[in-house]
Amino acid sequence: MADLQIDNLAKTFKGGFEAVRGISLDVADREAVFLLGPSGAGKTTTLRLVAGLEEAGAGRIMIGGRDVTQWTPRERNLAMVYDKHSLFPHLSVFENLAYPLRIRKMAEGDIRRHIAGVAETLQIEKFLERRPNQLSGGQMQRVAIGRALVRDADVFLLDEPISHLDAQLRARMRVEFKRLQREFKATMLYVSHDQLEAMTMADRIVLINKGRIEQIAAPQDLFDRPETLFAATFVGEPPMNVMKAVISEANGCHSLRVGDTYIEVDHDWMQDGEAVKPGGNYVLGLRPQQLCLNPPDAEHPCRVQGKVFAVETLGSRVVFDIEVEGQVIRAMTTIDAALKYPRAIGAPIAFRIDPDFVYLFDADTGRTVRQARFTRQRAARHHT
Amino acid sequence: MKKPTYSIESPAAPLVQRNWWVYVVLTLVCLVNFVPYLWVVMTGFMDGASASSATPAWFFTPSLEAFHYLIVEKGIMKNFFNSVIVSLASTFFSVTIGMFCAYALARYDFTGRDDVSFWVLTNRMMPPVAVLIPIFVTFQTAGLLDTLVGLVILYTAMQLPFVVWMLTGYFRDIPRRYEESAMVDGDTWFAAFRKVTLPLMMPSITATSIFVMILSWNEFAFATFLTSTQAKTMPPAIMAYSIGADIRWNVLGAAVVLITAPLILFVLLLQRQLISGLSQGTVRK
Repeated sequence: MADLQIDNLAKTFKGGFEAVRGISLDVADREAVFLLGPSGAGKTTTLRLVAGLEEAGAGRIMIGGRDVTQWTPRERNLAMVYDKHSLFPHLSVFENLAYPLRIRKMAEGDIRRHIAGVAETLQIEKFLERRPNQLSGGQMQRVAIGRALVRDADVFLLDEPISHLDAQLRARMRVEFKRLQREFKATMLYVSHDQLEAMTMADRIVLINKGRIEQIAAPQDLFDRPETLFAATFVGEPPMNVMKAVISEANGCHSLRVGDTYIEVDHDWMQDGEAVKPGGNYVLGLRPQQLCLNPPDAEHPCRVQGKVFAVETLGSRVVFDIEVEGQVIRAMTTIDAALKYPRAIGAPIAFRIDPDFVYLFDADTGRTVRQARFTRQRAARHHT
Repeated sequence: MKKPTYSIESPAAPLVQRNWWVYVVLTLVCLVNFVPYLWVVMTGFMDGASASSATPAWFFTPSLEAFHYLIVEKGIMKNFFNSVIVSLASTFFSVTIGMFCAYALARYDFTGRDDVSFWVLTNRMMPPVAVLIPIFVTFQTAGLLDTLVGLVILYTAMQLPFVVWMLTGYFRDIPRRYEESAMVDGDTWFAAFRKVTLPLMMPSITATSIFVMILSWNEFAFATFLTSTQAKTMPPAIMAYSIGADIRWNVLGAAVVLITAPLILFVLLLQRQLISGLSQGTVRK
């Protein structure tokens, strides 16, 4: 195993498409780092650059402290798993697993021993004589992972290895992956567009958009303290509510207007850090999980009136889409709490905004101007 | 309880054959195609008298008179082996060279790639007769007239566009990821090509080879003009028996048997591969 460092990596394809524009990140030894981003963000290109399957336009790739930027794929000693087509259809499962070992001229007995070990861990002993096309999708991906595990690769590169499996199997594979990664002490770079995968399995997430890094953070930090508007809206399900922020100031107190309600925000929160000008161009962010539904007639200073636009039932949770002055704001609540509220479209409903859970972004640069206040308290608790 | 009269079927289940008329059409097509051929083959086994009699007969005593005449007296086996050598060699060379060409066209994005592949296609648009004279003169200068080497070179050149065009499509159908996986696993490019891409391409390459071989085997125009005694292949050799005032039908029939039998045997032996090769891409997921 080894660590991986990527320094200012860039790749422009023929025709001028800049897939990757200056990405720097590092993966520590035995760390699982996820490249998360929408499709076309440059995640897979980054992975292919690391594998040596694409030639880097600029930048440097270091594996285990050695500069491998100019090396061919086979010299880099990496293992790669694709979403599909990882297994050779003309070879049996056993031969597929043996393939990288045969290249290394390993003795037949050693090959058998190696494969037996990996097959047991992955529970694929029964299919060793089968052809890949006789396997189900989940079995196929398990074998593909096995092929990566049979040899001592320095870094594992995984390109959405489980995203084509059905939801149930995916959930099981996520857990299995995490276990395997610990067991094999693997350094792992994993590409995914599925935030659930990244959140559950990653040590750190590298959020990529349009060939650039938006943020590198641990999963919970990424969710709690997004550094950009993109990070805030990409991570989280349902996504964060965003709207134009209307800030007003009176007697040194700042308040934000949502609907016809003025929400007074903490004075220190407004004052600390980058100056916020009341007339500036800002975006307000509210996580649906942090909005609290209220009956339309209840009195509360931070209550916003609206109408039911739609109701999405998710089983254990219910998402209310509430229309406020032509804008739809989503609020998520538990199934029990939801029973108390009307679901008819157009019915009046209200929700409460806790000023501690308000994010503020710069609309022009897309950067976060103020992290929600609760994250400071959480950070403070961490320190004590 | 009443049994349901219908059966539940998966939408993916193959359609049940109910259309008997398909077989009627197939039988008709087979008759139209095979009866003339059957007649020629039968003629080949007749003796001279019954072959040229005015009343055709379905039943006759078989005789190898015509074969004896062709093989022993005329020495047609020399032409036969010329044909075998020329078609095998030209198939081998055109498929080997064309394979790499097709691979490059399918895998690498170089400047002018589309122009190259279009140019390859235009080679097939030109009628071969148009270049007959220039090629004759070239062969004359190069001393290739009436040599097997000359024919092999010419046929290889003629078949290359076809091979490249067919194989390019098949190579495109094979995901590049297979090779990339092998390379990441530690193979060189060539080892990955040999161990992964080639085995996957085998059905397509076989199908293409069969086509090329049939084309080379049957090539007539160039063979007629560029060979005389030493390198004459089967098609021009047989032509000699179908012209003139007094055609010996049984000799012509025997010649037809000799020229078609290898092809029929060849295709029968390889028909499984031929079909899987032709349908490749449509079957694969």
